[in-house]
Amino acid sequence: MENTGTVTAKNIMIKCNSIFKTFESKDDENEVIRNFNLEIKENEFVVLFGPGQCGKTTVLNIIAGLEQSTKGEVFVNGRKITEPGPDRGMVYQTTALFPWLTVMGNVEFGPKSLGVKKKERRERAQYYIDLVGLKGFEKHYPIKLSGGMQQRVGIARAYCNNPPVILLDEPFGALDAQTRYLMEEELGRICTKEKRTIVFVTNNIEEAIYLADRIVLLTNCPTTIRKEYIIGLPRPRDYTSNDFLTLRKEITSEMDETI
Amino acid sequence: MKRVFTKEKVQMALWGIIGLMSILLIWQISVMVTSLGRIMPEPIEVVKSFLISSIKPVGRYTLLQHMLFSLLRVFVGFSLSGVSGIILGIAMGRSKTINSIASPIFNMVRPIPGVAWIPLAILWFGIGETTKYFIIFMGGFAQVVVNTMSGARKVDKTLVGAARMLGANKRQEFFRIVIPSSVPYIFAGLQISLSTSWMAVLAAEMVSSYKGSGWIIITGMNNGNTVQILVGMISIGVVGLGLANLMRIIERRLCSWRIQGQ
Ligand SMILES: Nc1ncnc2c1ncn2[C@@H]1O[C@H](COP(=O)(O)OP(=O)(O)OP(=O)(O)O)[C@@H](O)[C@H]1O
Ligand SMILES: [Mg+2]
Repeated sequence: MENTGTVTAKNIMIKCNSIFKTFESKDDENEVIRNFNLEIKENEFVVLFGPGQCGKTTVLNIIAGLEQSTKGEVFVNGRKITEPGPDRGMVYQTTALFPWLTVMGNVEFGPKSLGVKKKERRERAQYYIDLVGLKGFEKHYPIKLSGGMQQRVGIARAYCNNPPVILLDEPFGALDAQTRYLMEEELGRICTKEKRTIVFVTNNIEEAIYLADRIVLLTNCPTTIRKEYIIGLPRPRDYTSNDFLTLRKEITSEMDETI
Repeated sequence: MKRVFTKEKVQMALWGIIGLMSILLIWQISVMVTSLGRIMPEPIEVVKSFLISSIKPVGRYTLLQHMLFSLLRVFVGFSLSGVSGIILGIAMGRSKTINSIASPIFNMVRPIPGVAWIPLAILWFGIGETTKYFIIFMGGFAQVVVNTMSGARKVDKTLVGAARMLGANKRQEFFRIVIPSSVPYIFAGLQISLSTSWMAVLAAEMVSSYKGSGWIIITGMNNGNTVQILVGMISIGVVGLGLANLMRIIERRLCSWRIQGQ
């Protein structure tokens, strides 16, 4: 399944090395991840696709450094991950914008934290605000934006630090179908323009096939990798093309078997 | 945000005026036709006295000056309790150790109202200004601490994580996440604290003072001057209302990000 033979260590951006995770409370143990191994190449778009509550967020949080694995390590760009850091941008399911900051304030938060001079960080933030289609909304507070627009801000904020890795946790899960298609299209466009290594979590099969270079199918809890699919369809993809639908049927039937 | 006088607002204001007028009218009539006149002056007399004492001194100062003296005391005491309350509240909200040390003492002192400190304060500080500041401080301090603490505790962990992911260090996390997300709570505390401070200063002035709105009332009582008592009470109401509105305006400015809609 793994084709590490053709991949030199140099262009591997993320490496998950036998990750185990058990949440422990007073009188309860909850094993969520069991022996998770994954290598992601630079600029690859990987979708973690799995059933609800299987541990997708936990995997992503461990890569982010927001959560510690019980066993095993994560390396990003060759560096072992022990804590959150600006080399990985994160986009959350529940927007997690700073409500007291405007769109501009949110997007420039990263560069400001890293001490980038005002003029430069404003320019950079403006570039990403324009890129996600929010020109003119710089001074708005998040509460006044729609769900889709809030996620655009989240995406711009994650990109604005120029991290090599972007992690997205079901970013469009809470959006209505119409907005969701639109956002998938936009993210596809952004990804062709701004090459990054991307880990995208979802439980929506259409979204997965539309966006992924590779889909990693996860098992139920305690989760690990069930199967992988390289998606070679040309971009931009067509939800209704035969290849798309065949692939969709194939992955769905695999899911039905395992769950 | 421009203030617009909508039809509805004008209507509500009119009803308010009608309500006020009816009370005054009922008061006036009762004084004229019932025996209430023996214990209550006519409202016209109170209004007249209110206007006159704005120019002519009551005791050593005019009414306006008395109000300003009370306000000044509140300003000093409230600033002290506000600043120290915010600091202690955040410390207790963010540090388990500080919370463990401070909360038993704090929880014991908290139920004691500001006015209960008056006797001690007079013994400790005499009857000067320090006593008033102290009583106002004790009256408002706890509310600021309690609210600030709960705000500092309720900081969303996801937002803290998001800030760390964006490269914020501990110091930035504190000043750019913890503080701003506590502001609405801090403000709620300050609002309550200001109104208790205003009550505390009046109590303090009634017990020992030669100026201030509280003094006007108490000398009114000593001289059997009902008009003066009522004038003092109205001045307290006016100032209290003004303070509450001021805080609301500041809050709207500071917390505009929480207000949905336009
Ligand atoms: N901090 C935690 N403490 C204890 N248990 C946790 C914690 N976080 C997650 N879990 C448990 O781990 C399991 C997987 O959770 P996780 O959120 O990773 O799943 P998910 O696949 O992202 O779910 P969803 O599809 O709802 O997003 C769940 O059973 C959850 O209850
Ligand atoms: Mg999740």
